Amino acid sequence: MKKKYRNPIGVKKYTGLLLIMPFLAGFLLFTVYPFVSSFILGMTDYNGIGNPRITGADNYIYMLTDSGFLKAAGVTLKYTAVLVPLKLIFSLMTALVLNMQIRGMGVYRTIFFIPSILGSNLAVVIMWQFLFTSDGLANQLLEAIGLSPVSWYGDTAAAMGIIILLRLWEFGSTMIIFLNALRDIPKEYYEAAKVDGCGQIMGFFSITLPLLKNVIFLNLVLQVIAAMQEFSAPYMVTGGGPLKSTYTLGMLIYDEMFSYHNMGYANALSWVMFVLIALVVGVMMKLTGRWREDV
Amino acid sequence: MKKYILLTAAAGCLISLSACRGKTSQVTAPDGTLDKCTLRFSWWGGDDRHQATLEAVELWNLQHPDITVVPEYGGWDGWTEKVTAQLSGGTEADIMQINYDWLISFSQDGKGFYDLSLLEERIDLSQFDSEILQFGKVNGILNGITVSVSGRGLFYNADTYKEIGAEYPETWTELLELGEKFSKKGKYPLDLDVQSGGTAWYLAVVYVQQQTGRQFITLDGELGFTEADIKAALDFYKSLEDNHIIRTVNTRTDEDGTAALYQSPEFISGRIGGVLEWGSSVGKYEISLTDGVLESGPMLSDDSGNNSGWMIKPSLLYTISANTKYPDEAAEFMNFMLNDGEAAKLLGTTRGIPASSAAQKSLEENGLLTGLAQENDTLLETLDTVTISPYMELAQMKEYYNSAIEMISYNTVTTEDAAREMYGSIKDYLERIRK
Repeated sequence: MKKKYRNPIGVKKYTGLLLIMPFLAGFLLFTVYPFVSSFILGMTDYNGIGNPRITGADNYIYMLTDSGFLKAAGVTLKYTAVLVPLKLIFSLMTALVLNMQIRGMGVYRTIFFIPSILGSNLAVVIMWQFLFTSDGLANQLLEAIGLSPVSWYGDTAAAMGIIILLRLWEFGSTMIIFLNALRDIPKEYYEAAKVDGCGQIMGFFSITLPLLKNVIFLNLVLQVIAAMQEFSAPYMVTGGGPLKSTYTLGMLIYDEMFSYHNMGYANALSWVMFVLIALVVGVMMKLTGRWREDV
Repeated sequence: MKKYILLTAAAGCLISLSACRGKTSQVTAPDGTLDKCTLRFSWWGGDDRHQATLEAVELWNLQHPDITVVPEYGGWDGWTEKVTAQLSGGTEADIMQINYDWLISFSQDGKGFYDLSLLEERIDLSQFDSEILQFGKVNGILNGITVSVSGRGLFYNADTYKEIGAEYPETWTELLELGEKFSKKGKYPLDLDVQSGGTAWYLAVVYVQQQTGRQFITLDGELGFTEADIKAALDFYKSLEDNHIIRTVNTRTDEDGTAALYQSPEFISGRIGGVLEWGSSVGKYEISLTDGVLESGPMLSDDSGNNSGWMIKPSLLYTISANTKYPDEAAEFMNFMLNDGEAAKLLGTTRGIPASSAAQKSLEENGLLTGLAQENDTLLETLDTVTISPYMELAQMKEYYNSAIEMISYNTVTTEDAAREMYGSIKDYLERIRK
């Protein structure tokens, strides 16, 4: 006979629900509500004042022929494709160095994490702007080693480079995740491999990388999501220029929303960005699925 | 569980749909009394305007201990976006300084801002010409009061010109001839921007308007220029770069990044010899120029002396939020800012020469009708000016101008192709928003 348990402290049917109410209220108000509103507004012609006019899929149809959207989507994908691998490699390399047993390593780790704490706040952005002006420090350094100065803001590829460098500089959080994972790898694996004649490079590819693959994937997903939503760095450093070469989807959404007052279209764009990110992450999951499972 | 998820989703949809019905809040009618309250007043500008306005607000707060005014201010860049977000959320200030084109952006039917004609008892409208009051009307409803009427003029760094040994140009030809002299010293006689100010396109429009007599965009939003006119304007802009009159877009962004021209080290150091600016806003250039004196220069004409085509507009307007709970008090404060003699003395010409005759009289009596804004105003009064269409200043329109100019500056398209694209985009856009 199935034994019936009486609740000893008088917990009733809805007590659990009551306990999670604060979270649920916040979730409904700040996640579900904007999410659903945004989808509905994406199907309207709305300038933010007055009443929205339902236009169905018009915004999405217009998007297909909007050269501004197509260019911004291209810039965003290009930026993501360049930044994310660079950042992962750089963070992993730094984490490997910081995982070594050297005196005062705690201080080094702190120093390397400082840029991430600073983020791309206004002071950093102003510093960045001055570093890359025609007679800024970057060009002075180039000239000191006999190279010709670069038109950082004027050249389309160089302007993208400035933004990528700014984000690369903030590699701290990615690096910390790698560092923690590296410290979890038992030293015995390396010692046993050493006995079998395995060198450091082989050890990295045969032991470190396979054991880090889930962490690499986690960092990859986090960085792809952040890169595809990029807004503040190009907005503040290059203004999206020159020739829209750093004008990301995030900037386009902002302009459509607040500068041109096309709030319906801006919401539709947000949904396309959401779907685009989901697609990219989905494809990555599919492509790396077997590799991640195969421990 | 499924039931709860469905219920949650349904609730979300319902709330969202109700939110999409738009604003339904009631406008508070004036009650004829002045109650104790706190009002918010917002404006943008340079440091000269901020300082003067803060002093005027302080004077108000001293004179009216029951009606406290809290200031909200900042620079122009990003200001429209901030106010857009506030207006969408109904959290805007009670009294706002607004731009001319905001009337069509935020109040297409005249209901986006308070109907100021309901507050005539508080705001002395007799101090304004009826023509000037007309600028603030949308759909027949008085939404804003013009603070000043202003136009863009040319202002030069006297020291730079003296050092080069050049005279301020009087004609377009003379301007184009200055490049050679300035380039020898690594300087520029003028500079224009392709950022939010969009002065590059503005000067090109003046040039073509003077030549053709056609207005770029009419007051009711019709495109007056032909494709050939737009090409002529872009060709003129290109000739300014080619003749070393202004920096190329590439050089400017390289040297200044995204900094505004008045904050540019190149302007502050005197390497840039001149700017095109509103008489009402030139103060920010004046105070940032630590070495050198800024002087007002002639409005350029063609070789036959035709100096038409220059433009004027209500440089700024004051409005009251349609959501204010204190319309009487807000109107009283607006009247103080527009017509009070003491406030006018403190505000000076930081918003241009006041349109209010009471404020003008106060400045005149106190010998304050001086400076670049006044000089620019006097110059414009002698010309056959054109009133700028508010449609010309819309952010989307500026995007079309700036894109075209950037592309021809980088030589990625010919002026012919850029003109074709710009003509098509502007025509389509104007048709769309005037529907």
